[in-house]
Order: sequence, then structure tokens, then C-alpha cells
Amino acid sequence: MFRLDADRPVEFCDGVRRRDFLHAGSLSVLGLGLTQLFGLKAVGAVDPSKDDKNCILLMLVGGPSQLDTWDMKPNAPAEIRGPYKPIKTNVPGIEISENFPRMAKHADKYALIRSCYHTAAAVHDTGHQMMQTGRLFQGGIEYPNYGCVMTKLNGPRGDVPPNVLLPHPIGNTGGNMPHGQTAGFLGKNFDPFVLNADPSDPNFRVPDMLPPDYLASFRVDRRKDWRQMVDQTVSRFETSSEARLMDSTFHQAYTLMSSQKAREAFELHKEPESVRAKYGLNRFGQSCLLARRMIEAGVRFVTVNMFETVFDEITWDIHGSKPFSPISCYRDLVGPMFDMAYSSLLEELHERGLLDKTMVLAMGEFGRTPKVNPAGGRDHWPQCWTILMGGGGVKGGQVIGASDDIGGSPKDRPTSPAEVAATVYRGLGIDLHLELPGAQGRPIPIVERGTEPIQELFA
Amino acid sequence: MRLPALLFASSLLAAPGFAGQIGILPATVHLNGPEASQLLIVEATDGGFQKDLSRQTQWTSSNPHVVSVDAQGVVKPLSDGDAVITAKTNGMEASAAVKVTNSHAPFVWSFRNDVMPVLSKVGCNQGACHGALAGKSGFKLSLRGYDPETDYQTLTRQSVGRRVSLEDPAHSLMLLKPTFAVRHGGGKRFSTDSLQYKIISEWIAEGAPAPKAQDASVTGLEVFPAAATLHEGDEQQLVVMAKFSDGTERDVTRWVKYSSNNAGTASVDDDGRVKMVGPGEAAVTLWYSSRVLYSRLTVPYSNQVAGAAYDSFPRRNYIDNLVVEKLRKLNIAPSAQCTDSEFIRRAYLDAAGVLPTAGDVETFLADSSADKRSKLIDRILDRSEFIDYWAYKWSDLLLVSSRKLNQTAMWAFYDWIRAGVKENKPWNQFAKEIFLGTGSTRENGALNYFILHKDPVDLMETSTEAFLGQRMTCARCHNHPLEKWTQNQYYEMVNLFSRVGIKNGSRMGEDVVFAKTSGEYIHPRLLRPMPPTPLDGQSMPLDSTEDRRRVFLDWMTSSKNPFFARNVVNRVWANFMGRGIVNPVDDLRATNPASNEDLLAKLTEDFVNHDYDVKYMIRTIMNSATYQLSSTANATNQNDNVFYSKYIVKRLPAEVILDAYSQVTGVATPFAGYPKGTRAMQLPDTQVKSPFLTVFGRPARLICDSSERTSDPTVGQALNIINGDTLNMKLGAGDGNIALFLKLGISDSRILDQLFLSAYSRYPSGSEKKQMLAALEAGRLEKGTEEAKLEAHRQVLEDMAWAMLTSKSFLFNY
Repeated sequence: MFRLDADRPVEFCDGVRRRDFLHAGSLSVLGLGLTQLFGLKAVGAVDPSKDDKNCILLMLVGGPSQLDTWDMKPNAPAEIRGPYKPIKTNVPGIEISENFPRMAKHADKYALIRSCYHTAAAVHDTGHQMMQTGRLFQGGIEYPNYGCVMTKLNGPRGDVPPNVLLPHPIGNTGGNMPHGQTAGFLGKNFDPFVLNADPSDPNFRVPDMLPPDYLASFRVDRRKDWRQMVDQTVSRFETSSEARLMDSTFHQAYTLMSSQKAREAFELHKEPESVRAKYGLNRFGQSCLLARRMIEAGVRFVTVNMFETVFDEITWDIHGSKPFSPISCYRDLVGPMFDMAYSSLLEELHERGLLDKTMVLAMGEFGRTPKVNPAGGRDHWPQCWTILMGGGGVKGGQVIGASDDIGGSPKDRPTSPAEVAATVYRGLGIDLHLELPGAQGRPIPIVERGTEPIQELFA
Repeated sequence: MRLPALLFASSLLAAPGFAGQIGILPATVHLNGPEASQLLIVEATDGGFQKDLSRQTQWTSSNPHVVSVDAQGVVKPLSDGDAVITAKTNGMEASAAVKVTNSHAPFVWSFRNDVMPVLSKVGCNQGACHGALAGKSGFKLSLRGYDPETDYQTLTRQSVGRRVSLEDPAHSLMLLKPTFAVRHGGGKRFSTDSLQYKIISEWIAEGAPAPKAQDASVTGLEVFPAAATLHEGDEQQLVVMAKFSDGTERDVTRWVKYSSNNAGTASVDDDGRVKMVGPGEAAVTLWYSSRVLYSRLTVPYSNQVAGAAYDSFPRRNYIDNLVVEKLRKLNIAPSAQCTDSEFIRRAYLDAAGVLPTAGDVETFLADSSADKRSKLIDRILDRSEFIDYWAYKWSDLLLVSSRKLNQTAMWAFYDWIRAGVKENKPWNQFAKEIFLGTGSTRENGALNYFILHKDPVDLMETSTEAFLGQRMTCARCHNHPLEKWTQNQYYEMVNLFSRVGIKNGSRMGEDVVFAKTSGEYIHPRLLRPMPPTPLDGQSMPLDSTEDRRRVFLDWMTSSKNPFFARNVVNRVWANFMGRGIVNPVDDLRATNPASNEDLLAKLTEDFVNHDYDVKYMIRTIMNSATYQLSSTANATNQNDNVFYSKYIVKRLPAEVILDAYSQVTGVATPFAGYPKGTRAMQLPDTQVKSPFLTVFGRPARLICDSSERTSDPTVGQALNIINGDTLNMKLGAGDGNIALFLKLGISDSRILDQLFLSAYSRYPSGSEKKQMLAALEAGRLEKGTEEAKLEAHRQVLEDMAWAMLTSKSFLFNY
């Protein structure tokens, strides 16, 4: 099927470019009126000097084992230390697993937080909630994801969606459907734009971004107007939030369609083969490359889900027996996959002068048992694990906190998900005392009161 | 009746206008033992409202040598005997009888029933502290105290002499830490002059006696008031009683963990004092010793609603009575009844997943008989599309898909479901055929259920979810924190499913399911099999060779089972009304109360009395005036989407939208591997590739979870119908309805009528028609060849049809 070349902007018969017409209204479409936005800027909730901060969140679905990745214990007994050996990095004193040789050359760009922990149930869902919102969903409250909070506060930058999720949402990891990837109580208006396609697919394109060739542009325009005409007077939909959301999705769709910049951001085939190969020709690698393009195009927050399920797929979830993954996969598949993509991402952001403005987070939902299990793998262990933070003003090349001899418990500077949230918001220039409008307008603090960010990261 | 709060606070004289009655709760008290105590409250009732007058009450004891009562209404024993406690407030009096026994009997605090509740209330054993998987700082307790025996060992045997010091109780870590006499990561939890301290220190001083198997255990809770209607700003103290296996009862108010399920209506503090902060209903849930209960507290809205609004509401059946009663209590007026157009469209979509044709609509609108709606319902329920729709719905529930089933198996499973819907098989019969079935999965399609769930844990969790609406997962590792199910009960249930045998059948794609006579599921912590026991049911002996699934089925379908009928009734209700009476429908737990308990109870009872007849239930729901409410709000119910005061607007399911597009345009959707003309709602398999269905939220049928199907509008959906091929190609098809209209030379005006009737089930209004005809006219070609003019005409019609088919009036059900 022949598609309109994205190089030609979609112009409409009156000569006025759709993007110009829609731009003024797009803030309201995303639920934030101009006066509101200026209001928030005035009270300092949105720090204008920090308005250009971005974030890429890499969700390491499955839960990487701290002992086999970034918190090695070579002196621990064999049944604890596991099969992998540490290697030096380009920062003296910092060692990581031999499975990440490229990452080792960029240790100056990220900080390792080795004392992360949470106290909720050791299932994937709780970790997803806590690491992406800072809290466990309780009492009927669904907290918003960092990217959605950013969208609510800062609105979009240009015509691109402010918040993008690649490539698919996290699906089945056992138990209830996972949480933590939506706008929760802020309203679906602020949900991320979900790609729902595989960027490593040779025919990759964002589904349905442009009208088909058999539909002339004046007809697209006419349809849009007529749809509004048909919809105009139906008052019964005013009290339905789902109906209002549908209106906003149509606005956002038309915005995307008419923005060449937005469409081009998704044109992965414009990247040289060598660059694509550098990230790794797999779904995660290409999603990381796409994430870089998103940031370049003005997207504020990009989440990349490394995997969508832990069942019948090779992921970080190395229980050691089917349908889960074996410990060897860190050497054979998952380790290299992450190593290539993560280091390429840091490298390229740095080269393009974007790393200072872009926080790059790599986090799993928990760590894994210090003692290798009978199947030769490790099980869930939220008591202690390692997360990575870099870019966006975060001082790399350092280790925050420490675990005990067997990597089972934080020995030094335990770091809770609330503190991680505070750190992310701090890095993005968002005031920690802010309150967000919850259900029925109840103000809900952005982080638990009194939570401090990890100051050492911003020294 | 609103009374200024100030008046109550400042005076004990009768407040003007207050003409109600008061009562002491609980009304009778038995204080057993020297340490017994009972909090009493004074509850007034006046004109449908309750009020807690405890804080304006003077308390006296008729016999101060037997029983004392303080200014807060706390009653304590002094010596054996009987007495009467009198409460005086606002010029009224009430009394409660108190009996005291064993006031001077030897007394020792019980580890199980006194010390453990302290640990739970104070938070020692919560998930964030020592109840965490690995405990904290080397000290691990069972989460929320589900294992007193092990906790006892941990406290007294581990870290010998330090946590519990018999020689010097005050130096026990168990006291030093929570009082912050030594550094404690959990901070100060209680002070040395508290009752918590007293209980623990005295227990230690008595030699720290261990819990015994014959200790009385908690069998249930009771709360006062169980329900109340209050005013915004009111405060209400709750009193909670625990009932024990030895027949005794005691006041555990101060040891209960409280939470509110609706912070917008009520908040509750650690002492069980509730503050009503806004209108609506809240359930304050109570947790004590792995038992749960709730008190339902209501604050009516401050609307002006004339009684006539309720009295004049049509009562077609009991549903209407029960819904209106609730609305009256909340002071929300119901909307008007929906129009005939709204009704026919809604009824077809909700019951059969299809739109009525233009002809159906014209006939119905022209019919003037009084019972036409009721007759329409009967006709819809007889259609084959009705069968398709409900077969699809139960296939969602039972996870029919080719992901884990081969084609033969999948078709056998689907065909069995569809045949069951067609013959209106009673719901308990459905369950029976699954759980008692043995033999070939080809002959008995129901048995493919066991092919999908070969693991006993998976089988148990899916079965309790699909048929009982219970989420058992949390209890897998520990006692369910929100429910009352213990870990032991969990594995007792799992062991009911540990003897399902599967072997290869003789034919292609066939398996044989049989009941094994041996095999156990081992409790991962106790390392032994648990006697197979359905929740709160009778155990079966481990050595019994009876089909364990039968025990599960008999218990599940017994008339005494509170969940089986309720679960399916609630799901069917949610299909029509847009929201379960318990929401979400997967979560029928004690701490997730129904928004209208009387309604759900009556529906369930009716369903059971009619032999689990799903079609009967559907007919009853559809015929109610509640179902036929308009979705347009009135001045009082814009924000109500819980109490059914108006029809809840909802986006159509993915399959319904796709089939509706096919129907209106006259162009079928091709599905690979299925005959032409197969509708989306007829597909047995959600794995059938369809980007349209996927983006519109078709469930993957991987886990039994109603949230797998989504109906949220997304940008991806908008892009799909703006730019995707699915709708666009149907509109442009040479053999579609638009092409047909043109070929037949039908006027634009009549075409619009047809589109409105088939898409919206109504005629266009005068102004709509005028505006749209003008738009169509403006798009016509003035000059050019006949061919070009015809093409332009076709395009304007297509574009107008597109606008109609992508508007909210099409994509939503209202």
C-alpha cells in the first residue's frame, strides 16, 4: 500500500497548515488550559529553567538479578555469587558483570544505586507500580506514572505527544493486570501515546499515521469538520469522561497527522544501518533508538518496556525453569541486548548534547534471591537491588548505597521507591511539595511528605 | 434534617426540633474477667438520620460497686453481678444491661488473643516492617499475625532472653524497641503507660505463656452501627465486637485496623472514629485477627428532590423498588425514561451485540402498543445474534483461544459453550459439566477447561475467579490482607484440583480427562498436603478416592454458597448497566461491598429460585424501568455513575463496533480462515488477527480478568478509523450500501434517513437534516463529466457516512 511520503507536509485546501490551527488548542486538549499552565509556572511548580528536561525510562521487566549484573559479590560463596565474574569499568573502583562490556566503558555516565528495596509483595505488579509512580496502589487510588505527571504539569512541547510508551504496555506477568503505566487518577487524558508496533520489524511504521492514498487530503479535512458537526449538540455526553476522552483522542490524532516533525520522529528507516545495528536489531534495541529520536523531536518522557511478559519468553525473570528464563540468558541474550542498547543510547545522547537534559533511568521491579535455587536460577527479591540513573544533571560515575556481603539487604543508605520518585521529580525540575488533583478534586501530594531525593546524585 | 453542630456541642438540653429516639450500642454487655472493658456509644435516630450523641452524654452506673463507667462511655468490671448503665442526653434516656463475671478470677494475658492483636494494631507485623518477607533487622513476624505459633517461637526462642526477658520484663526488646527506649527503625509505637505496654509486660512477667491449640479463636466480628445515615460534618464512633469459639464476645474496638473505601465521603482514624466529609456512601472496613467486616455510612446529597420524583418512578419489578429506595436515601433523583429510539438501539446492543436494522427501527417506532418494549425484548432474546453474543461473553470468561488449545479443542470448547447458551442451560449445569466431566475433550468440549489450566494452582485461581468472583492470589503467600482467606485455606482449595488426570486421546487433537485416585499438592511452607477443603466448607479426608472436583462443585453450587450465583448475576448486570453492583466484577470480597446490597441479594435470590436461568435474569433486568432510564443527567445526578440513577454511557466493545460497521455499510469483514460473512462476534478465538479489534481493546484471553478487555478511547483507535483501511474500505466498497443507494437513485434526504435509522436508530431532526443536506450539496460538483459528478457525489456521501460512523453517537451506547 503506497503511503504519502512524510516529506510532504499534509496541507489542506485552504492553505492553512493544520498544525498551526490546532496548536493553540492542543494544550486544552491535553487538559491543561493556557492560564492554568502559566499559573503553575508562576508558583514555581514548573521551573522555567528546567522546562527543557526530558526523561527516558527503561523498564527492565522481569527483575534483573543484582548479583549477576551491577552488584557483584565475587568473594561470596559459589551458591551466592553465581556464574558471572566482575569486570572493571572506566571509573576506578566500580565493577560490574562481565556481561556488560560496553556499559563498562560508560560508567562515568550513570550512577548505580545498589540499595533499592521495597516492602510490598514480591510480585512483578507491585514493583511496576512502585518504580513508576513511587507508591503502591491502595485504597482505590491509582497513582500516575512520572511521564503522565510531567504531561499534566508541562503539557506538550510542539506537536509531538509529550509522553510516549514503546513498544507495547507491560502485559501478563501473573496476577492482576499491571499498573503504573497510566495516568491513573489524573485522567486518561494524560495517558501516554502507546506505539503498539515492533520497531525491529523490517516494515515498521506507526500504524495508520497517514491517510491512505485513495483518500484525498481535502476529504480528510471535510470528514473532520463533518464529524464535529454531527457530534455537536449531543448533551448527554457531557457527563461522560469516556466521551470527553474520545474527543481529545481525535484532536491528538489530527495533530500527529499534520505534524511532519512528529511523523518523522517515527521514521526509523532514516537511521543508517550501522546505527541500527549498534543498538541491536531487536525490539528493545530499536525501541531505544526510537526513544532517542523521540527526545530529539521534543517528546518529554519516553518509557521503553524491555519485555511485555515473563511467561514463555527470555527476560530478566531467571527462575531457572519454564516458562521462565535460565540464568545463562544474561550472558547469551538479555545481557548483550541491554548492553548494546543502553550504551548506544547514552553514547548518542551524549554526542548530540542531549544527555545533560535527559535523565536516563534503567530499573527493574525487584532484585533476585542471593541463594541460587535448585533450578539454577534466582527468584524474586525486593529486599535489595540495583537501579541505574544517569543524564539530566545526575552525576554519573558513582555508587549510591551498598548491599551486604551477599547482596541480600541494604547495608548502607537504603533507598525506597518513594525516594526514587522524589529523585526523578527533582531531576525533572518538579517541585516536591506539589499536590495533584485526585478523584473528586482531593489534593494528593506528588510524593509522600518529607521524602527527600537522593541529593548525592545532583551534587 | 440538618441541625447546627454547635448546638449539640454546647448544651445538654433538648435541642429544638430534635424528636428522635436514642439507644445504647451494644444494648447488652457481658464483662468477663478483670481486664474486660466495653466502649458504649449512644446512637440517636430521627427522621431517617442517625447521630452519635456519645460526646454529649452523661453516663451513670446503677451499681458502681459492680461496674464503673467513665465520661467516655467506657465500662469496666469491679465485682461480679449485674448493673444497668444509663445514658442521659438531650433530655432523653437510654439504658444497657451489664453482667460481670470472673472479675476476680486469676487472669493471664493470652498470647494469641491479647498480645498478637497488639502487634497487629501497632503495626509490628505489617508488610512494611517485620511482616516483610525477610522481616526487618533480623526480626521476622508472620504478616499481620497469621501464624501465632511461629511468632511465639521467634519472640521467645530466637535471640534468647533478649526479645522476651523473663527475669527482667522491662528490658525485653519487645518493650524497649516500640517505646523507643532503644533505637528502633519503626520509631515509637506506644508509651510505657499505655495498655499495649501493660499487656505485653504483664504477659512476659507471667512467664510469657505460649499459645495453646485449645485457645478460643475469633469466629466473627460485629460492628455498631452496622449502617447509618449521617450529615456531612458528623462524626461517628464505631464499636467492634469479636466473637469467639467459646461463645464469648469482647470489645476489640481499639485493636481493629480501620480504613475507608471512599475517602471523598468518609475518613476514619485509628480509634475507629469516622468523620463524614462529603455526600455519598462509604464502607469503613474493619480488620481484626484475619477477620473482616464493614460498616456502611451514608451522607445524602444536598439536592432538593421532591418525594414525587421517587413515587412517580415506574415500578416494573423489584429492581426498580430497590434502586429507587437507595436513590431516595441518597437524595438523588432518577433521570427520565429513555426514548423508544434510545431503547431499541440499547437493547439490541446490550443483549445481542448488534444494531437494529433501519427496518426494525421504523417498525418499532411506528408501533403504538403499550407493551412493545417488553415484546421487543422477547424478540431480541430469540435471535441467533443473542446466542453469539453470550457465547462470546462466556468464552471471554473461560478463556477460549487457540493460544493454548489446538483448533479441534478450541472449537469443541466454543461449540459446547454456544450450545449451552442456545438451550439456555442453567448456570449451575454449565459448572457441573465442567467439573464433573470426564472423558474425551472432543466429545465433551467443556473438558478443554482442564487443558487450559493444567497446574492445580492456576486451576484453582481461575475457577474461583470465574465462578465465584474471588481473587485468591494474595493468599498464596500469606493470609489475604484484604479478605479473610488464610494461606492454609488457599492450599486446602488447591488440593481439590490436584487429581485431574489428562492423557492423550485416540484421535487427532483429542485428550482424555479423568479423575486420578492419587496425587497431592504440597503446602510449600508446611511441606505436607492439606486436606482438600472448599473455602469455609467441609474437609474431605486425604485418603478418600472420591473425585475431589465433585466436592468443589457441590460446595460451589450449593444454595448456601454465597458467591456462585452472586458472581454471575453481578456480571450479567454489569453487561447491561455498565457497572457491577460490586465493582470490579472480579472482586466479590467482603471488604469490597456492593453499592446496593439489597438489590444484589434480591437479584441473586431470584436467580436461584428460577433455577439459575440466565435468560430469565436478562429478561428481568431489561424489563426494569431502571434499565430503561435515559443517560441524560438531571440537576441532581450528573456525577452519579454508581447508583443507577441514569443509564451509564459506555463505549461499544471492539467486536460490536466492527460488526456494526459491516452492517451499516453492507460490507463484511474478512477473517483469515473463516467463511465470508462471519461476524466478529461469531469468532471463537481472540487470536484471529485483526488490528482493528486489537486497537479497540479485544481481550487476549490469557488470564481470567475482566480488565483484559478495555473500552477506553485511545489515539491509536482514532488514527485507525481516520486513516486505517477497515472502515475506509467498507465505505468505499463498490458493493456496499452507499454504492447501492446511488445505483437505485435514492435521494440524499432518504439516504440520510437510512443512515440515521441504521446507525442511530432514529430519524434525523429537522435541523440536522437541513444542515447535513446543505453540506452534501456544497460538496457536489457543479461542472464536469457525468462520471466526475457521480464520483464527487459518492465521495460526499461516503464522507458524511464516515462522520456519522465515527461520532460519539455511533461509538457509544447511551
